[in-house]
Amino acid sequence: MTTAAPSEASSTIEARLTLDRQRRMRSGGGLAIGVAVLVAVQIALSSLGGFPESLVIPLADWIDDARRWVINNQTSHWSFSFFFNPVSDMIDWGLRAVEWLLLWLPWYVVVGATAMVATSVLGLRAGLLAGAGVLYFGAIGLWTESLQTVALMAVAVAISVAIGVPVGIAAARYDRLQQALRPALDAMQTLPAFVYLIPVVLLFGVARVPAIIATVVYALPPVIRLTNLGIRTVPAATVEAAEMFGATPRQTLRKVQFPLALPSVLTGINQTIMMALSIVVIAALIGAGGLGQVVLVSLRGLFVGRALEAGLAIVVLAVIMDRVTHGAAGIGTRRRLRLMPDALAHVKPVRWVEGGLSSIDGGLSRAGSVLAIRMSRKLGVEALGRHPRKVLGGALLLVGTVVGAAIGRAEFPGAISFSFADRIDWLVDWVRDNLYEIGGTWFGTGWFSDSITIYAVTPLRELFSSDLAWPVVVLAVALASWRLGGPALAAFCTACAAGLGFLGMWTLSMDTFAQVIVAVAMAILCGIPLGVLAARSDRFERMLKPVLDFLQTIPSFVLLVPVIIMFNVGRIPGIIASVLYALPAATRLTNLGIRQVAGEATEASRAFGATRGQTLRKVQLPLAAPSIIAGINQTVMLVLAMVVIAGLVGGGGLGLETVKGLRRTDSVGSGFVAGMAIVLLAMLLDRMLQAWTRRFTPVEGGN
Amino acid sequence: MVAAAGDEAVRAGIEAAAPLVCTEITKVFGEDLAAAMALLDEGASRQVVQERTGCLIAVRDATFSVERGEIFVVMGLSGSGKSTLIRCLSRLIEPTSGTVEIDGTPIGDLDDEGLRELRRSRLSMVFQHFGLFPHRKVIDNVAFGLEIQGATKADRYERALQVLEVVGLRDWTDHFPQQLSGGMQQRVGLARALCVEPEILFFDEPFSALDPLIRRDMQDELLSLQASMRRTLVFITHDFHEALKLGDRIAIMKDGEFVQVGTPEQIVSAPADEYVREFTEDAPKTKVVTVGSVMRPLDGETPAGEPVGVGAVLDDVLPRLLASPEELCVADDQGRVVGTVDRDRVAALLDEGSRAGAPAGDRTVEPR
Repeated sequence: MTTAAPSEASSTIEARLTLDRQRRMRSGGGLAIGVAVLVAVQIALSSLGGFPESLVIPLADWIDDARRWVINNQTSHWSFSFFFNPVSDMIDWGLRAVEWLLLWLPWYVVVGATAMVATSVLGLRAGLLAGAGVLYFGAIGLWTESLQTVALMAVAVAISVAIGVPVGIAAARYDRLQQALRPALDAMQTLPAFVYLIPVVLLFGVARVPAIIATVVYALPPVIRLTNLGIRTVPAATVEAAEMFGATPRQTLRKVQFPLALPSVLTGINQTIMMALSIVVIAALIGAGGLGQVVLVSLRGLFVGRALEAGLAIVVLAVIMDRVTHGAAGIGTRRRLRLMPDALAHVKPVRWVEGGLSSIDGGLSRAGSVLAIRMSRKLGVEALGRHPRKVLGGALLLVGTVVGAAIGRAEFPGAISFSFADRIDWLVDWVRDNLYEIGGTWFGTGWFSDSITIYAVTPLRELFSSDLAWPVVVLAVALASWRLGGPALAAFCTACAAGLGFLGMWTLSMDTFAQVIVAVAMAILCGIPLGVLAARSDRFERMLKPVLDFLQTIPSFVLLVPVIIMFNVGRIPGIIASVLYALPAATRLTNLGIRQVAGEATEASRAFGATRGQTLRKVQLPLAAPSIIAGINQTVMLVLAMVVIAGLVGGGGLGLETVKGLRRTDSVGSGFVAGMAIVLLAMLLDRMLQAWTRRFTPVEGGN
Repeated sequence: MVAAAGDEAVRAGIEAAAPLVCTEITKVFGEDLAAAMALLDEGASRQVVQERTGCLIAVRDATFSVERGEIFVVMGLSGSGKSTLIRCLSRLIEPTSGTVEIDGTPIGDLDDEGLRELRRSRLSMVFQHFGLFPHRKVIDNVAFGLEIQGATKADRYERALQVLEVVGLRDWTDHFPQQLSGGMQQRVGLARALCVEPEILFFDEPFSALDPLIRRDMQDELLSLQASMRRTLVFITHDFHEALKLGDRIAIMKDGEFVQVGTPEQIVSAPADEYVREFTEDAPKTKVVTVGSVMRPLDGETPAGEPVGVGAVLDDVLPRLLASPEELCVADDQGRVVGTVDRDRVAALLDEGSRAGAPAGDRTVEPR
């Protein structure tokens, strides 16, 4: 600043500017000092490199011992004969029963039942699509595997709900229980699905029952959380009114709180189903069988086409289950009998078709009500009379079942079959021949993945795991977390970081960490601009929504398959899949954050003549910062979950080590330790990011 | 809305039989209740208690009784503790000290079961934001109390339909509350409260969420219902006009304490302090103050003319006073002339009201 006339006003301005400058220098200075300290330590310890073997705790060996103990005592020790084994047997029995029933039912009954349920919840179009989806299971020759997965899901979700709803209700009633549960639930949702498999394997071995147990543990949090939330958000006045009429706590719960919480509970069940589906697929690793097994085996043998067929079956299953439970929770659209989009309603043939459909529906409904009324009289169940369509549908399915059983044609007919695996395999070859180096030039997907590997992933991995002395990395984590959240956070994060070394997982962790950083950077670079665009254009948002919905519905494991088509196996497909997997979070929360900025603030900015860019930079983005940071937080956690899974397709790092532990009994110990390292890494990143999120409040604004 | 008991002796007699008697109800929110109560016993102020113990005094030493057929209104601004008080009466909130007796039974001694029984059989409440059950049809909302008591479906529907008839919602039984307007929703709330035939009804600002015109209709309806059913009513409001219109007696509440308790007329014509006076300033005095309280007691000669009743409010006699400058004679219930009233006396009262912030003055209410 130039020296101004020594008037009072300008000297205060001068003082202010100086103060500002000093403050900026001080915060910059802190950073500089931190970096200087790190550099100094690095120079002093440059010979140190990776974590020394001598400091590693031999946890893996202990775990292996424990595993051996379990195997030796499985038949004798009381904890097995009185707890683990009976639990295991009961689940196994339930699973077998459900599976037997599903496979015993004639295939057309399964198709019909799915179509009817979807129609009654979502409308005719969705019903037909759902029926076609189930047909697809059979057509690609995976009827049995699909129903096995359904049975696995059904049992896991039933157990989750049977545990989750009562626990949620209890948490809503007792504040102390809620407080005790919260950190546990938070941690459970932070960890990648993968991690749950290992301790279960340790106790129950490799089979379908442990897969179910791991699924239940992983899928439990949403139903607990949303039951608790649903009951707690019932208006106090409503509960008070019930109490005022002398309702007992049980009556209040049954007649007021639970019915009002039901939509929330159902949303929780929907989320539980989706989470269960995503892990049931991964659980193929520990012998869960079903569709996941097909994908896994195909991928291992690089039969990408077959993997995609099975993966698509999982997606179909996911979409059907998601939409139907979503609709049942009353979130989706109402039941509609239209087949065509409304836009076509003026076309004559369309109207004839719709007219025909609605008269058929009317006829069915009338026939149904005759039947329903008769049955309700005969059986003395009044409620039956009120649901003619359901009674008719049930009767049809029952007749179909009986007929099917009588003529013994329950199996899915081989005549209905199609396969596109060959074409996909051809595509994979074509991509390898043509897209890796397009037209014989250097440019192509091969160049893309090579560049990321050579210029980003490998240097970062080398930097963290060997170039930098391990104390420098730990110290950097300590300084950064201190800055973000004070001494308590610093202590926690430093312990986590050092723990990675003590577990003997330093190099692998740094490998995974490097992949996470690259994937997060890519996800943010794509996701946030997309979110900004979506926030500014309703049309773009509408276009983007189905894509994001789709990406979020696909189980993470399945997402790998199409990426492998493009990029072959290795670290890069894992990273690309992580980006795709995490993109929706970054985009959604950016969009949401900007759209939530009060219209008045934007208007005020425009009224001052700000350009759209200025409004975005100076008003909308700062106000949306908390939401965007939350999006980044989610992005990081999703990326971590995916990068770990990518260990299956050559991603290396902690994921691969864990998989090895699941596959081979002799490396359960190191697999378990790798899983713990994933937990430490996840918690470290999550806590730091949450502290970062907390620093942004709408009042202070972003940078 | 004639003033309730005047004579102390008579009132004492009624209190003995009053269905609802509250003695020194105090409610303190906070951690260190013992310290707060000790300070209160020493007479410390609300601020002092809050500063020293961090406890909030919501209600302090509320003592009153409500007789059968009476509407007892508690009026106060938000934060004055009135909602807490009404919840203490049914132990929706547990009072910190003090006793509530319902038909002579101290409800503080009841266990959970006893309390439920009491609420099921004798009490009912109408809530500010209706507190309706959005997942139940109107009829199932109204029948809720009976359902809780274990009545059969036929019985409770029969009774619910009767009550819905009374509040004029017979045609809306199968709708859900959200499909109804605010006024209709509160009729459902009222019907739900009446359905169990309670002796005592609590109203927690039931009409404050309604439009002014609807509110007036509901007030009139409540008065006519009360005229026929003669229940014991405690009514909470922040609207002074509503208090004057509905209350047989009114308690004005401020910072958790009763500032003044009295008939509308007593409060309007002799506000206890500045706080109460501010409310009374734009109150419709001529609708509240009776001839008896402004008349000149009879001294010697009896003026001629058709007498006006001692209990008539000024509104009733204003046309006659305006029509002639003459004095009117005032007669008591037995028709004996007991005093006279003229323009000047009425004008003096109205004039005082228009002078903002004037002290209570020497005009006192004649004990009747």
